[in-house]
Formats: sequence, C-alpha cells, structure tokens
Amino acid sequence: MKNVFLPNSIEEFRQIWSAVPDAVLMAGGTDLLVSLREGKTKVKNIISLERISELRHIDCSGGEILIGSLVTHQQILDAPIIAEALPVLRQAASLLGSPAVRHMGTIGGNICTASPAADLLPALYLLDARLELHTERTKRTVPITDFIIGPRQTSLSEGEFLYRIRVPIPVPNTRAYYFKVGQRKALAITIASMAALLRLDTDMTVLEGRFSWGSVGPTVLRFPETEKILQNQKLSEPLLKEIGEKSARLTEPISDIQASADYRRMLVSNFPLRLLQAEKYTGSNGKK
Amino acid sequence: MTEALAPIGTVLTRSDASAKVQGCEKYAADYYPQGMLWAGVKRSAYAHAKILRIETSKAVEVTGVAAVLTSGDIRGSNRVGVPEMDQPVLADDKVRCKGDPVVLVLAENKKALELALEKIEIDYEVLPAVFDPREALKPDAPLLYEQRPGKNLLLSGTLERGNGAASLKDCKFVVEGRFKLPWQEHAYLETEAGVAGINSEGILEITASTQTPFRDRNELSHALGLPADKIRVTAPYLGGAFGGKDGITVQGLLGLGAMHSGDRPVKMWTSREESFLSSTKRHPAELHYRLGCTQDGILLAMTCEVVLDTGAYAALGGAVLAMVLEHAAGVYRIPNVFIEGFCVYTNNSVASAFRGFGAPQGLAGIEQMIDLLADEAGIDALKFRLKNAVNRGDTTGSGVLMSNSTGIISCLKKVQRHPLWINRQDWVNNAPAFKKRGVGTAAGMQGTGYGPVILDIANAKTELLPDGRFRIYSGVADMGQGNNPTNIHIAGEILNQAPKDFELLQPDTGSCLPSGSSSASRTTFSFGNALIGACKNLKERILTRACNLMMGAYFENLLLARGKVLDMTSGREISLQAIASSMTEQERISIFSYIAPAAKHPESVNSEIRFLGFPHRIFSFACHLALVEIDELSGEIEVCDYLACTDAGRILNPQIYEQQIHGGIVQGMGYVLWEDFRIHNGDVLCRNLATYILPTAVDIPDLQSLAVETEETGPFGMKGVGEIGINLPYPAISNAVAQALGRRIYEGPLTAERVLKCLNSNPTGGKSED
Repeated sequence: MKNVFLPNSIEEFRQIWSAVPDAVLMAGGTDLLVSLREGKTKVKNIISLERISELRHIDCSGGEILIGSLVTHQQILDAPIIAEALPVLRQAASLLGSPAVRHMGTIGGNICTASPAADLLPALYLLDARLELHTERTKRTVPITDFIIGPRQTSLSEGEFLYRIRVPIPVPNTRAYYFKVGQRKALAITIASMAALLRLDTDMTVLEGRFSWGSVGPTVLRFPETEKILQNQKLSEPLLKEIGEKSARLTEPISDIQASADYRRMLVSNFPLRLLQAEKYTGSNGKK
Repeated sequence: MTEALAPIGTVLTRSDASAKVQGCEKYAADYYPQGMLWAGVKRSAYAHAKILRIETSKAVEVTGVAAVLTSGDIRGSNRVGVPEMDQPVLADDKVRCKGDPVVLVLAENKKALELALEKIEIDYEVLPAVFDPREALKPDAPLLYEQRPGKNLLLSGTLERGNGAASLKDCKFVVEGRFKLPWQEHAYLETEAGVAGINSEGILEITASTQTPFRDRNELSHALGLPADKIRVTAPYLGGAFGGKDGITVQGLLGLGAMHSGDRPVKMWTSREESFLSSTKRHPAELHYRLGCTQDGILLAMTCEVVLDTGAYAALGGAVLAMVLEHAAGVYRIPNVFIEGFCVYTNNSVASAFRGFGAPQGLAGIEQMIDLLADEAGIDALKFRLKNAVNRGDTTGSGVLMSNSTGIISCLKKVQRHPLWINRQDWVNNAPAFKKRGVGTAAGMQGTGYGPVILDIANAKTELLPDGRFRIYSGVADMGQGNNPTNIHIAGEILNQAPKDFELLQPDTGSCLPSGSSSASRTTFSFGNALIGACKNLKERILTRACNLMMGAYFENLLLARGKVLDMTSGREISLQAIASSMTEQERISIFSYIAPAAKHPESVNSEIRFLGFPHRIFSFACHLALVEIDELSGEIEVCDYLACTDAGRILNPQIYEQQIHGGIVQGMGYVLWEDFRIHNGDVLCRNLATYILPTAVDIPDLQSLAVETEETGPFGMKGVGEIGINLPYPAISNAVAQALGRRIYEGPLTAERVLKCLNSNPTGGKSED
C-alpha cells in the first residue's frame, strides 16, 4: 500500500516531509504515475504538492516573471502575463501533451523530472531561467543549466525542493520561437526540439541570437560558441544552415523507439531554417 | 406524443448512443459479478522454448490465491483456432512466442494475483527461434510444429491466368516493385475482457467481448472438453474489435478458471500492455510485383509474390492469404497473371483478422504499381485506372468474375470530376517555402462474406411481445459499428413501427440463433436479410390473425400501423396487444434463415485457398484521393484534404454509413503514416499507447465522403461498408507522397524519419532504398 499525503500549505508540507523523509514529491504526476505503473519506480510514500496555493502563482516583479513550481501547463497557457512577456514559454506549453496532461502536469514537475525531451526546458534554457530552491532552513537560486546535470538527474540536495522559477523578461524587440518534432501533432514525445531567440536590427542584422536544443543530448543543450557566429551578421539561409550544421555536430543524440540518432541530427541541422520561414513569412505560411 | 418513423435511407439517431455517451452501457469489461475472483496468466518469457518444469507451490501459498492451473488441468484438447486448431489455452509441451499463456491464476484481488504470478517458476529449454518468414521457409529453419507435414508453411496458393509471367515480354512498359508493409495493432478502446461462472444447472456461462459468440462456444467445447449445450456465451456491446476479437481471446482462460474456481465467478481483463503483447495483429506483408501494359496503357501482364508472417499460430492467417491473393490484382482486367502467396509460421506475435482482412495489403501493392506504371507510360493515373477498371461481367486479374453490382468506374469518374482533382496542379504549384505537395489516388474493392465453400448463413428471430411491442434476437455482435441500431431500423421499416417499439437482445447462445461472425463486411448484409425475412413472416402472421379476429376483414385491406392493425375499408382497428394475446408463444416468434450468394464460377486456384474464401461474389468499391504536404525540414507529412467515393450499394442510414467511411479512412491513415507496431526478435517493442502512435483528431483533415449507390441484394439494396474505407489510404497517400518527393518509399509506415532520409539521400539512384 502507498500513502499519499496532500498538504495544504508549505508549513504542513514541511511537517509531513520531516516525518516521512523517504517520500517522493509529486508535482502533477504525469511522469511519476506512468513510472509507477511500469514498475520502474518503487515508492512507499508520496507527497503531492498540488494543494499548496503558494506554489501555484504567476507573478511579475523586478523585470522577472516568477512562476510557482506547481503552476500547471494550462495556467501558463492561460496567463496573460506569460503571453505578453514570455510568449515562447506559452508556445512550448501549447505543444506539450494533451489538454488532460496540461491540466495535471506542472512546470516544476517538468524541470525536476529533468527529461532531455521535456517541452518547457528549451525555452527556460533560452531565457536563462533561474530556480529558487528551498530547504527548511536555506534558500538558494541557481541557473537552470547548473540544476539539471543529466538525464533525470538534478542537483537537488536532501530536503530541498523547487519553490519557484524566475525568468528574466527579454529586452524589447526580441522574438523567440519553439519548434518541436514528435511522432504526431499532439500527445507526442519530443524527438527533437529547438528554442531560439533573435534580436534583429531593422535591416535584419542579428544583434543577439540564442539557441537551445531539446532531446539531442543528456540535457537540453546550448552552444554559446556557435551562437556567436550570428553576431552582427545578416540573417540569411546560409547562415542559419551553418548554425544548424555546426550545432548538429555538437549534439549527442541517442537512438530509441521514437527515432534514430541520425534523424535527430538531421532535425537539428534543419531547425534554424524555420526561423527564416517564421521571420520572413509570418502569417502567410501557406496553411489552409 | 407521436414518434416519427425513420424511413430507410434517412438518419435514425443510434439507439445505442445515449447509454454509451452517458457511460451506462455495460461492456464485458464492466461486469463485476458478486463474489468474483480475478484471473490472470503467467506468460512466456521466450519466443521458442520447451517447458521442462512448472513450479507453482510458492504461488499457491500466496494469501488470497484460489487456484493455480496449468495445461494439466484441462480436460479437452486444449486447442483453439479456426480452421486450424493449433493454439493452446495454456501452453503444454512448449511455448512458441513471447506472451504465450502458461499458467492461470485465480485470486481474490489483483494484488494477490500479481504476487502469485511473480512466484511461479518455469524451467525452459530455450529452442532456436525464427522471426523472418523467408528464413522460416528454409529447409534448416527451426520448426514450430515438429509433426506438421508442411513444416513452417501454413498455406500457399498459386493463381495463373493466360500466359502468366511469359506475357511480360510482350509489354511495352514494365515496372517492378518490392513493398514491405508493417504489423498493425487493433488498439480497440476495450481491451480483451470477460466474466465466467458455472450456473446452478451446471452450465458454463461466459460473457465476453467477442465478435463470434457461437463459434466461441464450439471452440470452447472442443478445447475444454465440455458438451456445447453446457456452454452459454453472451456478447454485449464491444468497445471496438476491428477483427481482433474474431475468435477466442480470454474466453478459454475464463472457462478454464470457472471450472476450477469452487463455483465462484471469475473475471479477466487485460491491461493495455498485456493486450499489446498477447493480441493478434494485421499480417505484415512482403509483396514483389511486376506489372506491364501496352503502348496505349492497357494492362497485359502481372506477377506478384506475397509473403505473410502469421506468427506462432494459424488463427485466420490462411483466409487472410486468400484475401490478399484475391485483391492483389485490384479492380483491373489483366489477362496474363501469375500470383503466388505464402503464409508462414514464425515465433512472432500472432497475426489474424484485421478490418479489410488482407485487402489492404493486396491493394497497397497493386495500387502503387498502377501509379508506377502509369507514370512510366506517361498516362494520367486516373485515366489509366479508368482504361483498365472492370465493369459488371468482367473478370479481374485474380480471376474473380464481377457478377454483381460493380460501381468502380462511377467512383473513379466522381473523383475525376471533383474540384480537388481538377485543381490539383495549381494546388501543388502553390506549395509554400520548405514544403512539397503531392496528389495521389487509389482504387479498390472489398469482398463480402465467407467465399464459395463455407456457407454464409444468418438466422434471425423476432417476436411479437404480449404487450404489442417487438423483440429482435440478434445473432451478430455489435462491436461499435452500429448493427444493432441498424437492425431496429430495418425491422421498423418492415413492420412499420417506431424504434421505441423494439427491444433488441444482444447475442446469447442460449436464446438467439447462430448467424456467423460480425466480420467480413457481411454482418448487416446477411443478418439484415434474415431479419427482413423474419419480420415479413411475422407481419403476415399478424395480418392473418387480424382477419381472424376482425370478422369480415380481408387481408389485402389491412394496414400494419404503429401498435395496431387498421382495416382501411371500414376504419376499424385492432391493437397489436390484442393480436398478441390471441397467439401462442410459438406463433408470436418468427424465424428466418438466409444464405448469402456465393461465387459459382470455375475454380482457378488450389482447393485450400478456395475453402478459405476465394473468390467472393459481392464487392464494395471505392476510389480515394489524397492531397499531402511534406515538410522538407522534418519529413513530416500532413494530409491536407481527403476524398473517398464509395460504392457500398444503397445507404440505409447516412450517419452510420459516414461513420464507417470516416473510421476506416482514419485507421488506414494510421496504417500508412504512424502505426509502426515493432517486434524485434519476437520482442514486442511497442508496449503501450505512448510508443504505438495512433492518429489524434489534430492529425486528420476534414474527410469528404461521396457515395455511388448501386443496387445490390443486401437489405434495401445495400452492400457492406465496414471495411472498404480502410483499404485505400495506404496506396492513395503513398502515391501522393511519391509524387511530392519524386521518388517512392517502399517500406511502411511513411514516418517523418523515413521521408526525411529519403529527401536527404542521393536522388541519382532511382529507386529509394529504405
């Protein structure tokens, strides 16, 4: 038999956790419950954090968006402040799972599960998100790149939990995009993904370009050296091809039931070209 | 309040809709009898192994375990299957694929069941296994059945017409193609489920999710060693089947359990993972074609070799092979043909019936060949089809005489006149950046019923109830396609009563009559015709009795109206209740047997293939059109528009008709684009719905369905519509993709990965390799 605890406040949560320190924290359960069904995870005690309202807020303060760790993907889709300040995060949430999964799954769960295929992570890497980690006594804030250390591995220490995500609002005139390929259009695990941020001058000269890559390495990847190639160059097809090809060589994808490593590399090579499409042909994509 | 009657040909809201939408319809999986035990099985961990020893003592000791059973506890033959009885209820001497059931456990709850299953120890001697059907045919291949004279070959068949392959040299244009088609999983919503118990009269009662309640009873009698009259099978609504429940799934295990449960009912319901592991699939197929035509595009010669992998047990593999051969030349007149097919045992999962029953495989081959050849001859693909398609009275390349309604040319012309076809080149030319567009068509047919040897018989039974209402005793299960509502629609039309005046008893071997399986596009065709006969007899009996009761009335002046009989000359009337009360029970019940027409023309194939269904007499036809857009950056295919023109005879209910067309197309799109059921060295790699990719609503475009209503001998002129829709998305979409890419991918499904690799590979090699 499993015990499931449902604390209503941080205080109550701390009391329960100190009484059952071996408990697994559940933040939505869209990964954990699947893993339990498959027998991959054996647990005795589960603490579900979904009733702690303090963890379910989205706020804006000091040039940052503050997102509670138990904010669901649906909340991200629905919040006007996210649509306005972090549209790329909203776009990523819109491509995640299905309505049922988006209503249950949370941003904190997506981060702490630390799957390289997680849909919110490329956007959070791109935006230089930082994570507030709390224990009963301590608080620290770490960049997301330092937090996720491998597939399904984080640097959470004992007694520590993810309290909140802090995302700096990008400077004006930047645009960011999330592109994903899965085995179908909805309810699909990401085969490979790219989040990209561009700040362009009026003549299409790149002032800043960032790229993060999902599901093509042990964690979401960024290649700062490659990003520099763009600096002060005019956005063009050859340039974006070069970014794609260089990045593809740096990725370390695996082959699994969804796709081969080769295919993942091909996708990385081609993804940046989507920016050309998006920047040049916004709104006239030939869709019915 | 008067209730409108719903004439045949108009929409009648499905009588099953309300209960299903509200969640109160009871499927087999919803039965939880008082005092029941859970049944579950320990399955084989090896693809091929001899069972040396089964140690059950630790499992028996688990608290809550009621029984642990092995093949030694089975009194009968321990074999099920039709026509070849080769599949054990519980493995005895050896296992032949992963997932073979070995030990059955009955327990108070699922926890105890799970624990007991873990504690069973089985010692195996692992045997060499074979996973490739061509390897399995080699003389030194490991044998699944050591005593079988045909070794691993379940069945082969050869069809030769005219000068056969020799005529290829007389052709102006000849093309060749080798196609590899994947397994497909039925993935019905309701996994295999049922309950069983022995009643106070010693009768084994089984309620199961099954397409074949009457056949199940006979197989269970044989396998479990019980007389058939000691077994009763009932079939409530199924939560989907698509052929996957055409025969025994859990029924044998349930029956065995109930015979050893200490008089307690037992329930079994597979998880999705167990269902994927243990259920049957669509046969994967390898097809090798050569097809040739004259300068003018008249088809002259064809050769085709078919290899089907039927897995560890025969199931309906032989009959599926017969269907592939019959459909392998499609809807065309081809005078010189050589077709040869092999259905082979391997240590893979069992393949059996799946909507279309071999026709999708045959048509996937010939319809891609037609496009290749039309292209080679420089003739528009639709015109090429029209030049060669059969009329009534013609014989197809496979040697099937089109003796009945044949609407394929009308279907082709309907597509040809459609704006999507007329404007196709503009649409292709307007592809946006990084996109390629293509348009493809495919044509084909679907045979109805069981073929020339095994009679397709349905026996309908209807009753005038004492209260003046009517009861239909259905002999055929409704797995979701709506034949129960259709039966009410049909009976309502004949008896001139409203749908509410009927109750319908679902198949029950204790009170209904055997009427064959719900399969082969024959359910409404055959049972509906039997029902019409039963209703007409009953109507005549009611009117005759009214003459007796209303002195001075004449039969020809009487009208059977809702709830009453009216004398049109005098205006007098008498209620159906009054008529019913004047009848004995025997008089109130009407029974009618119907035998479907079968092909009588001369044999052109070996007798085994003929026995298993070749050829059919009645066919539905269709022509499909697909417009696809390919993303050059990812290889993803989007089907932008889709049109189906179908000849399935007259339409009884436009809504149910359209549901069948739409459902078939969507399942066919899954087959060609996403559903890649992977089995590697006997291991099922697709273990759940996260890795077996079914299309979702956003993956499917709006579907257009147009009907060509020829007149046929089914109820009110109809033909079967349950399968024809699934047969053509594979070739239509493949043809569209080939046009967009400028080359063809010969191995399915056409995943984005295969498409992108094809795009990125060197295009100078001609044929793409995959």
